[in-house]
Amino acid sequence: MEAVSETDVQFWMAKAVNWGEATSCSAVLDTSRHLISLRSFLQQVLQGLQQMSSTSEAMKTFPFVGQFLGRLCWNPCVIADERSQRLLLRCLSCLYSAEPLNAVERKANMWIKNMLCHLVSDKEGSVAHATVKHAGLTPKRYHSEALQKVVALMTEEVIKSCDGLPNTSARCSNGSIHTMSAACVALATCPQMSPLIGALLKHSMLCGSSCLNPEFIKEVSEALISKRLVLEDEVVVNLWCYSPTCLEGAAVSLLESVLSDCETMAQSLDKHVIDSLLPRASAHHCHIFLTINEIYRNVLTEIDENLAVRALIQVFTACFLQSLNGQEPQDRLPLRAFFPHVMPSLLTPLLTAPSEVPREAWLDHLSWIRSLLQSVTENEEAGEDVRAYQAVFEAWFLLVQCGYWVDTAAELLVLAEPENAEPLLWLLTFFHHPTNRGHQRSQQTAVAREAWTHLRMLFLTRPPPPRHLSTVKELLSSSLSTNLVLHLFSNFAVFSHGPVSIITEITDKVLTEADVKHRALWILASIRCRLNSAATRNDRVHSRLSTLQDTLLQT
Amino acid sequence: MEAVLRHLTNILELLAVSQTDRVSEWDHHTTLRAFKWAEYCEQLHSRFQSNLTVRSALESGLNDTNQRLQETLPSYSPVVFSELAQCQHMLLVHLLRNPSADNSVIRMLFTEAQESQFDQNSLITCKSAFNLLCRTLDRTNVSHAGLQAEAVVRGKLLGKLLNSVLSPSGNNEYARTLLDCILHDSAGKLENLYDIVAAALLSTNDETNSFTQHFILAWLRDRDGCFSKLCRSLSPGLCTVLSRQSSEFKQAYWAVLKQWASCLEYEVLESLWVPTSDEPVTFNMLTDRFKDLLNSGPPLKEETETELKTLRREDGDFNVKGINIPSAEGQLRIGESVPGDVLALLGVCLSGFGSCSFTLCLSPSPVFL
Repeated sequence: MEAVSETDVQFWMAKAVNWGEATSCSAVLDTSRHLISLRSFLQQVLQGLQQMSSTSEAMKTFPFVGQFLGRLCWNPCVIADERSQRLLLRCLSCLYSAEPLNAVERKANMWIKNMLCHLVSDKEGSVAHATVKHAGLTPKRYHSEALQKVVALMTEEVIKSCDGLPNTSARCSNGSIHTMSAACVALATCPQMSPLIGALLKHSMLCGSSCLNPEFIKEVSEALISKRLVLEDEVVVNLWCYSPTCLEGAAVSLLESVLSDCETMAQSLDKHVIDSLLPRASAHHCHIFLTINEIYRNVLTEIDENLAVRALIQVFTACFLQSLNGQEPQDRLPLRAFFPHVMPSLLTPLLTAPSEVPREAWLDHLSWIRSLLQSVTENEEAGEDVRAYQAVFEAWFLLVQCGYWVDTAAELLVLAEPENAEPLLWLLTFFHHPTNRGHQRSQQTAVAREAWTHLRMLFLTRPPPPRHLSTVKELLSSSLSTNLVLHLFSNFAVFSHGPVSIITEITDKVLTEADVKHRALWILASIRCRLNSAATRNDRVHSRLSTLQDTLLQT
Repeated sequence: MEAVLRHLTNILELLAVSQTDRVSEWDHHTTLRAFKWAEYCEQLHSRFQSNLTVRSALESGLNDTNQRLQETLPSYSPVVFSELAQCQHMLLVHLLRNPSADNSVIRMLFTEAQESQFDQNSLITCKSAFNLLCRTLDRTNVSHAGLQAEAVVRGKLLGKLLNSVLSPSGNNEYARTLLDCILHDSAGKLENLYDIVAAALLSTNDETNSFTQHFILAWLRDRDGCFSKLCRSLSPGLCTVLSRQSSEFKQAYWAVLKQWASCLEYEVLESLWVPTSDEPVTFNMLTDRFKDLLNSGPPLKEETETELKTLRREDGDFNVKGINIPSAEGQLRIGESVPGDVLALLGVCLSGFGSCSFTLCLSPSPVFL
């Protein structure tokens, strides 16, 4: 199989010749436009070269390669791009022969050495070479400082051009901004570039016109997500406002990072979410909140029973509300703007955090929530109306977002008297089984009550009766109710009053499967976040939480 | 101290060998050791560069070794103290350029892990990024007194270097050596160097750096004809900016202009001012420069006018359009119009050169004697 196609070779060779040393504006623009696809072509070339057994063979199979690589090495726009640079150097290293066997290989070796000289030093006898030679610094430091200085000059120009009123004769016209952003495409991951990148993004916000090079936006967004670039918070939010694609990328990246590392997230999900800047940005820009919700909502409906996504949505919403409350009242948009699809009467009870409601009032508050939700579900059951179904979904999604109330219900269930348990169990059931397909709701509520009864026995009697142990295990293994039972179980373990040792004892016996343990960790993550935002810290509860977590993490 | 001198000698010998075919005797291990020595050498530089006594001792040691090596190896290029900061880089480039060197250095460059001392990626990135951004900035029609971005940045860096070298007192000789070396090593295009020096002057324009500015100007004037060449290379506009900024530069610039004017002689038959020496000075060149000075606004405009009026008074204070040339045969005034717009009085006094002075002025009626 051919590593590189003839058409590709011709295309890229023509490009390399056209670009030359990237001395013209159009050359820089074109290079930056093709940078991403150039990287993948170079990757193909590298793979092709790696399969060659000698330089002579490589030159025969890929006769274009010498000229091609050489031209690219003289194009600063390509060389300045970290990834392309590494690929080029790796290609060169493939062409170097440790033991050259013929004139071609010897010549190639010399050519490669010359190329390296050109890349690392200036031409001898040039003023550039003389000034670097006697600078009293390593060339690396000299050029790093030189880069910082030219960035400062450019940043100053961009900032000055924003000072004037829009549409006046700005010193830095839109064309200049576009040119500068094109030059920055290759340099998005270079740490010295942050001031200029920040200034360019700020300019785009202030001056309203979209004169930034689209590849620039793409590269900056990717560099931010992979943490290879650090910008000021305000600048990042500017970027998200400017480019919906960047915002989506950031939201998806948060989701992926959360899903990939359960152990760390169980410890500090709220910190991770706050660090992503998304909650704060959402509080200041309604459309950002709506976009992120749309993305997470879609993920949730696709991966039905995923507790991790629910935990993320819950923590994200909680952090968002905290940010919102931190704003000045006059700057705050009405809540209705952020939750346009849901029944307005649901907003107040659900969006008020448990930490803002006195503990004694929790039961009443939850009963209120339950009655509102129940009326929505009864509406749906009454008719075949699609809109009514939609209303149930929206109400349920709001409950997911405000999952701290479901957690609160589960906490109350640990110590509740049987006469108070009914609304709490209903909420828990609705949370885990929102649809009433086949009129399962009554069946599921019964399961919930059964689980609750057994768990009470399990955690409140010493020693834990084996009968209840096995029943709980059975309920867990039945796929219909695992998450609900697990939810209750975790809350019992954390909030009940027995000795800490029974947590480990019971958990080891009941939660034996890795998958179940994994899910429990996500439930713990949201419990922990809710406790973190409480006014006072309950050490007893925290130590129980940590014990349960440690038990679950033991393989 | 003895040990340090010995080490320095070793390193210079190492660098010398790395440029000859004797390097074929090196194996991978030797190469690595050589780089270790070079690294140590860089540490020596950073430790002693501000310590005058130690540095002088090291410099004289370097001189001796340089001399000795030049006698034995004709192709040897002497190494000065300031270059020691880049010892590893020098060694690297020598080995890359030397066909007798083995593959060790290539192995190190291509296979070492990222962030190792041999990793050149960040140097290559910074260097090409700098190149790319300078060109980009130049294209955005932003002017820094007519200088290109690269010159501005290199000038700032040069200014910064001189500041740090000159801040401990007694370091003037070292600073002069630095500038001399840069001048010497910029074999060909000195215009670029003059741009950088101008940028260095511009960047050292505040109170904390006035000493550096003064130093650079003194160095320029000490080097035979250097200041004059610099002024010719820089644009009239740039010279005006520098004159506004520094009265020392202004005085020296006026002196140069006078000196150039003294090279012109009036060719009666052609009605032209022609150069009399090898200096490529033309009448138009002079007038352009004076125009620029006079157009620059207060206070430079007034100061230049005053200076010219003083010179003209010394000449007899004629107020006629054209050129006033007192010579052995008496006063000759010939009508000559200055190209371009009508300006205030322009007078240039030549002194010394063949006692030929002329006054150039504009007024309605030409008067002939």
